[in-house]
Amino acid sequence: MIRVVLVDDHELFRAGVRGELGTTVEVVGEAGSVTEAVPMIRELDPDVVLLDVHLPDGGGEAVIAAIAQERPGVKFLALSVSDAAEDVIGVIRAGARGYVTKTISSDELNDAIVRVSEGDAVFSPRLAGFVLDAFREGARVGDDAELETLTAREREVLQLIARGYKYKEIAARLHLSVKTVEAHVSSVLRKLQLSSRAELTRWAHERRLI
Amino acid sequence: MTQIPVLPFERSRHDDRVIAGVCGGLASTLRVDATLVRLVFALLSLAGGAGIILYFALWAYDGGRRTWPGAVLIAAAAASLLLALGLSGGAVFGVGLIVAGLGVILIRGGSMRQGGSLPKLTIVLMVIGAAVLLGHVGTSNSFIGPGAVLGTLLLVLGPWIWQLWREHLERIRLEERAEVAARIHDSVLQTLALVQRHADDATRVSAVARRQERELRRWLYGSGFGDAVTLADALAEAATDVEELHGVRIELASAGDLPLDESLEQLVLAAREAMTNAAKFSTADEIAVYLETDGDHIAVFVRDRGVGFDRAAVPADRRGVAESIEGRMRRAGGSATIVSTPGSGTEVELTLPRAAQ
Repeated sequence: MIRVVLVDDHELFRAGVRGELGTTVEVVGEAGSVTEAVPMIRELDPDVVLLDVHLPDGGGEAVIAAIAQERPGVKFLALSVSDAAEDVIGVIRAGARGYVTKTISSDELNDAIVRVSEGDAVFSPRLAGFVLDAFREGARVGDDAELETLTAREREVLQLIARGYKYKEIAARLHLSVKTVEAHVSSVLRKLQLSSRAELTRWAHERRLI
Repeated sequence: MTQIPVLPFERSRHDDRVIAGVCGGLASTLRVDATLVRLVFALLSLAGGAGIILYFALWAYDGGRRTWPGAVLIAAAAASLLLALGLSGGAVFGVGLIVAGLGVILIRGGSMRQGGSLPKLTIVLMVIGAAVLLGHVGTSNSFIGPGAVLGTLLLVLGPWIWQLWREHLERIRLEERAEVAARIHDSVLQTLALVQRHADDATRVSAVARRQERELRRWLYGSGFGDAVTLADALAEAATDVEELHGVRIELASAGDLPLDESLEQLVLAAREAMTNAAKFSTADEIAVYLETDGDHIAVFVRDRGVGFDRAAVPADRRGVAESIEGRMRRAGGSATIVSTPGSGTEVELTLPRAAQ
């Protein structure tokens, strides 16, 4: 049983998610703000925190910043209706293992929670698109070239995610194992979090201004 | 042997004829004033009598009644004009050979268009003609000579270029018509189908009708397409529309964006049609749409996990895919690829080279 804390300021949405989660996932606590969430997560020590990007007193980022260092075992999965790249990239950079939109189906949400609890990364199509955009070919390379660019394979995997393919379908299409696909996505997540490129954040902000 | 094209010229048989009605007929064919034509003929007559010969040539020709005497007389008129302009006899002979070469095309039915084949005789005649011409141009009146050659070529190639231009205009007209048909199919016909299906749901019907009215007005009188200024915005708008109309969920992702222009609008319309098809026929409740732009191309993927379809089994009179998606992308300079397997969904890939913009 995977223990989950749900952090979202909409009561109705929390109830909806609770109802959708299957038998492998148990909601052990619910919070509606950063101030409520931080002590609750410390106390309950859940496997996964399902986190809204926007909270009244800060945001998903603030929760992750307060917890991630002291509890490396707690995994964060961001859940949002927000379409803004800066929000999405921000919460991933802060340490979330994935990002899904609130329109996700129950099956996929359950699947995503399991995956994140196992240490894998979960990218929605939208996030995959953002990442491909941010790591555009020909962009300037920073101090660590390995962290600044995606490999051809990573690009391929991300493109298929963006096109709405599931990991299993990607594996079949590229003749890889699902594990290998997951490894590619995790590698992209690592680059996304560790890349020192200022472009990433600047890009996310500028994207609004297009 | 192919039909020699008949020039749309006939002598005037009305009251405005002065001699044989040649100038009047020519004026009405060219839609210019008859006096102007008469003036040109008078001027040409001063050039070694070319105008007079040309007059008799057209008289003889008269709407294709006597083609050969007409052609010979026209050639004589052209030759006398060239001689009067100072071209040497040898150069005129060269021009004559080139013209003969072109004449062979008319008779043998070759084509100077791309991909068309030229009769061997034409090539031989034109090469010899060009050689003779070049050999004589330098030695004769060097200033008028090249101009006269150019004029002659224009005279000879004129009808052919005119015909190509007419075909080009016709093609544009057909494309415009196909575009209007595709637009009507996407919007009005779709809406009417929807109205029929939900005839008992008054709210839905009036909402759909209102929306259609707005769209049609905007297309007929307004900016043509929404208020979106970028490709991603326009795609999002289209996705929202399809979601509203068909009750599906559309997951939209993008990497890169571009300011909207005409060919990108076509791309959006094709993507919209792909989404509509997925919403209507696939039975999937979610559709994934991904937009990607890079240095040399723009691509939009529309994917569903629905029932899929067999392309060969789609009746030919169903215009949706062929016209609204493939035809539209072709006209915009891009292409559409549809991959569908019955039972495991459909993916439509629309691509547009950046150069097509």
